[in-house]
Amino acid sequence: MIEIINQIFALESKLQKNGVDDYSRNFDRIANEFKNLNYHVINPIGKSYRNEMTDVEASISGDLNKNSKITKVLKPIIYEVNGNETSLVQKGIVIVE
Amino acid sequence: MKTINFAIDLGTTNSLVAKYDNGKIKIFNNPLGLKQTLPSCIAFRGNRIVIGDKALDYLEKDAENVCMLFKRKMGTQDTYFVPALDKEMQPIKLSSLVLKELKNFLPDDETVNSVVITIPAAFDTIQSNATKKAGYLAGFKEVVLLQEPIAACLAFANTSNIEVKEKEHWIVYDFGGGTFDVALVEADERELKVVDHQGDNYLGGADFDNLIVKNLIVPFIEEKTGQSDLWKSLKSKSSTHKGLYFELLKKAEEAKKELSNFEETEIELDISINDVDLYDHLIVKREVFENLILSNVENTVTIIKDIIKENQLLNSDIKRVILIGGTTYIPLIKKSIANAIGVEVNSSIDPTSAVVEGAAYYAGSKPSELKEDEIVEKEQTQEESIIDSKFFYEQNTRDTEELITAKFSGADIDNYRIIRKDGGYDSGVKSLKNNSFSEFVPLLEGRLNQFKVQLLNSDLGILKVIDPISINHGSYSVNGQPLPNDICIEIDDMDASATRLERIFAKGSILPLKKKIYKTASKTILKKSKSNLAINVIEGKSNGLPSSGLSIGYIEIFGEDLEDDLIKGTDIEIELEISESRELKINVFLQSCDQEFENVFSESERSISVNKINTEINTILSDVEAVIKTANANENFEYSNKLESIRVGLIEIQIEASLIHDDDISDTKFQLDDKKRKLIQDFDDLTRNEIVAKEIEEYNDTKADLEYHLNQNENERYKTKYQRIIQNEKEVINSLDRYLIRSKIKELEELFNAIIQSSDENFISYYLGLKLYDNFTNKRKAEKLFEQGDKALEQQDYKVIRHVVYGLSALVHENDRHQRKDFSDDSKTGLN
Repeated sequence: MIEIINQIFALESKLQKNGVDDYSRNFDRIANEFKNLNYHVINPIGKSYRNEMTDVEASISGDLNKNSKITKVLKPIIYEVNGNETSLVQKGIVIVE
Repeated sequence: MKTINFAIDLGTTNSLVAKYDNGKIKIFNNPLGLKQTLPSCIAFRGNRIVIGDKALDYLEKDAENVCMLFKRKMGTQDTYFVPALDKEMQPIKLSSLVLKELKNFLPDDETVNSVVITIPAAFDTIQSNATKKAGYLAGFKEVVLLQEPIAACLAFANTSNIEVKEKEHWIVYDFGGGTFDVALVEADERELKVVDHQGDNYLGGADFDNLIVKNLIVPFIEEKTGQSDLWKSLKSKSSTHKGLYFELLKKAEEAKKELSNFEETEIELDISINDVDLYDHLIVKREVFENLILSNVENTVTIIKDIIKENQLLNSDIKRVILIGGTTYIPLIKKSIANAIGVEVNSSIDPTSAVVEGAAYYAGSKPSELKEDEIVEKEQTQEESIIDSKFFYEQNTRDTEELITAKFSGADIDNYRIIRKDGGYDSGVKSLKNNSFSEFVPLLEGRLNQFKVQLLNSDLGILKVIDPISINHGSYSVNGQPLPNDICIEIDDMDASATRLERIFAKGSILPLKKKIYKTASKTILKKSKSNLAINVIEGKSNGLPSSGLSIGYIEIFGEDLEDDLIKGTDIEIELEISESRELKINVFLQSCDQEFENVFSESERSISVNKINTEINTILSDVEAVIKTANANENFEYSNKLESIRVGLIEIQIEASLIHDDDISDTKFQLDDKKRKLIQDFDDLTRNEIVAKEIEEYNDTKADLEYHLNQNENERYKTKYQRIIQNEKEVINSLDRYLIRSKIKELEELFNAIIQSSDENFISYYLGLKLYDNFTNKRKAEKLFEQGDKALEQQDYKVIRHVVYGLSALVHENDRHQRKDFSDDSKTGLN
């Protein structure tokens, strides 16, 4: 399932880049299905990067400082939710600049 | 006899911890990530110490405050000057920090006093003693050392059940991410001994990733974009393409892994370089990759040949070569060694964890010489109990970060560390100032975030753990206005042939709220037809009857509103939004019509349909009458009298409703609706307990049937699934929500069916049961099937019995198969 989430994520990123914008409803629907299957998927693009974030594996280019941001997401962060218990099942693979 | 059981592979680049438990090895995962490995790397940042993966973040920016590869310096006088601390750090101290971090991998209830730590074959006495010292410094009371190649051989021997009768020579070939080692091991029936070893401290799998970037990816990019000198630019300290370099390294690493399993792989590039966009694919064949790394691999094979020659042995004296280290996944390595030495090359053990696994087998057989050290535990407990702590934080918040402030007294606490228990945040070890700290922690949205706070002494030994600190994100806030009741939507319950409520927002949720839900159409609505789709948003108890709640938004989409037919089974997307001022907005999108109804309803347009009141009363009346009949039959007259007054009340409303028109503008409609709701609520309250009790009884019966089958040996494998289904049983039963209980029954039934269908023999009882049935739709066909069945029963051919049961089931009368009430399209909302 993790790989399916990754592929869907890659597909969405690609379409977004190509400026195709009439698919968002389908992706929302898929995201909802992942949620029903107890997966909490996070795309951290644009977020400030803190070294304390253990849910991403960051390749850092340049100086790591307060202004460092996640500029590219190669794989999303995935948590598995079980009642009140949440656990990380995939670290996001990101580029920080 | 107590054995040591715990083992640590204290590696140059990565470390692991494992436990021997009753013949099995458990390798622990880093709770802050998903890997078993911890990079042996430490970063010092002001008052903060970061160990492992996250320490690597600072390699580029602040290399002088990052210590790694210190294993190579064990037992030497060399130290690492850390500017951030303004002091020298000994390799022993650094190793002890890694060992302490590995202790954090263990569950809180495990205490480790004795441990086996692995060392390279090349370690001399001083280096070995230094490793022991690091172990003691990390708080272990007993440290036993074991050479890494021996550990690998033990892992191999224990997993492959080989028997060594005479003296044999084995080669352990260890090719990791950053280092390469070869050891010659002598094995006989009593012992394993490292005879010789050689290696290259600067050769590892990471070199191969660089080769792919340099020789394959960079020329490809240059060709497609017209850039030049890209490799030089990527590697330059002042490069503007640093981010790109790391991205390409990641892609190269992935491609390398893929090529271990496939003949070719594809590297997808989607990059921007000097304002030129490139989106393209580069196909890499295994053969090309192998040519790239061939000379490196040949060098390692030469080292094997040298070691054999130097020990006056022939290739044929080597019984086997055991491969460990992540790089040995590459098929060329196995092939090259086998060709060059001509012996069995074994890659059956997991190359990454073989050393720790073998060490754990050793730890499981090595008696601990440590006396029961109760005093130590007692001292810890005393220290723990004198620490007094006060924590301040918002338990419920809508912010994405929250401040945790704490004050301590009673013991010397030097450091603290905050970890989010889902693995997504680690503050690192931080020093405590004035016995207090204030820390902003990030929160996962919409989740209960649980944190663990460790209080540590100056040697980073754990004094006390405060667990859990819980912060709920999104559910409550002091400023927002909570919902007084559940907000639900009325949907069709096909199993019960009635409509029911599905909760969208729970009572107590804080406004504003927004949610998108997905339903499917339960009926077909042809365009221009009079048929309708009803969306009824109700405020009330989600486990009550739909007609007992207050309808706060009711919209109907008719066939004449549609541009295309709404087909049964297609998706209906409904977005509900309630503003802070309680205004309700509904957006509906119909997939099969590709039509969106925006803001089709808002609270100010509230309306009540007389038609709807009538339909609801009709539906409920038959239920009321049925219950009255049963109550009378049981001579429960008090109960039936109460029900009778409800029945009369409902009929009176129907009569009144029939006298007003739909376009009536007086309050009458609203009054009637209120009266109707009240009566239906009374009926609901009177009967709910009985219905829920029946559902619970059915749940227990289904569970008992299932457990009977689960206890048969052949069904062992279904037990995990069963446990998963019943794990929240208490919550479900206590909710007294009939629909929740029903959904659990359904899950149990599905599992029950899966078990039954997994074996032909299970169909015998079904077959015998069908023999008692006499209302088949085609009696002649049924008789024929019974003839076949009896014969198969005699011959014990249960496969045929299965088919006969399927055949007979198809002949069972429809009414007997589903004893369902009529559920006409008109009574349906259209949402399933």
